[in-house]
Amino acid sequence: MCRHALILLPLVVAALELVRPLFDHGGSWVCLALIAIVFVLAPKRCNLDDWPRVLPSALISTGGTLATFLLANHLNLGPLVASAVVGLLGTTVFKEHNQLVWYLGAFVGMSSALRFPSLGLLITAGLLGGVLWEVLNETWNGVGGRLGTVAATAVLVVLLTFGGGL
Amino acid sequence: MSLFIGMSLGLLWGLLGHTLRQKTKLSLVAGSSWLTLFAALVLPRVFADGYVYALICTAVSYVTMSSVDRLEKLWETLVVSGICALLVFFGQNILVGIGGRLGTFAALSVFIITIPKAHKRLLRKE
Repeated sequence: MCRHALILLPLVVAALELVRPLFDHGGSWVCLALIAIVFVLAPKRCNLDDWPRVLPSALISTGGTLATFLLANHLNLGPLVASAVVGLLGTTVFKEHNQLVWYLGAFVGMSSALRFPSLGLLITAGLLGGVLWEVLNETWNGVGGRLGTVAATAVLVVLLTFGGGL
Repeated sequence: MSLFIGMSLGLLWGLLGHTLRQKTKLSLVAGSSWLTLFAALVLPRVFADGYVYALICTAVSYVTMSSVDRLEKLWETLVVSGICALLVFFGQNILVGIGGRLGTFAALSVFIITIPKAHKRLLRKE
């Protein structure tokens, strides 16, 4: 249940954006409360048996994030072309499982430079994306868009926690 | 007019993605990446609203990463692609600048079809 709560965060934020005129700034507080609840419950409820896999996933995800962000913003390729190029690069380097983690990182890297003026927060989001991939393993299995949802969760958690303006 | 073109392109990309998934040995990531690259390079040069269409086709390419268990038949993929196109078109101002936004739209579209399907199966078992 707690896994579903975490992965649903982007949908909660999207719903709050739709009804924002009704709540003024209340939406951010709702999201922060959700994140706080999930992070209190997550370590107790989520069975993460394979901790050694978390670090490589976090690093691979961060690699995809940085590659996409730099291609999109510094070579002006734009997020779509950058993520596609990075995804294709990943298919030549990694095996199936790690390709997905790398592609997840690419989704995090599609974030706007206005949201992430510094690379520090972006790297944090990339690392968190890899961690969430392992924590949320088997959740929404086989659903297209799952990687993007996990990436959006990582980005939103970082932005809501450290600022960046929602 | 632009919604009609967006829907049509979304359905076309859904068909392409489904075909790539069923008929080729491309990995999920490679299939989605090729579809995204093609959309992002071609559509903005062909249409005035090409960037929006590229967003729609990219989100649809994520839809086609669904497993065969979730979206078994072509019509299911096409229905989800159409729903996804609508969500991206009308949700352009939601989660702007957040990486993973298009994937979120894609996942939501897939659930609109797969959740009722799963419940139907459960009811049949009972």
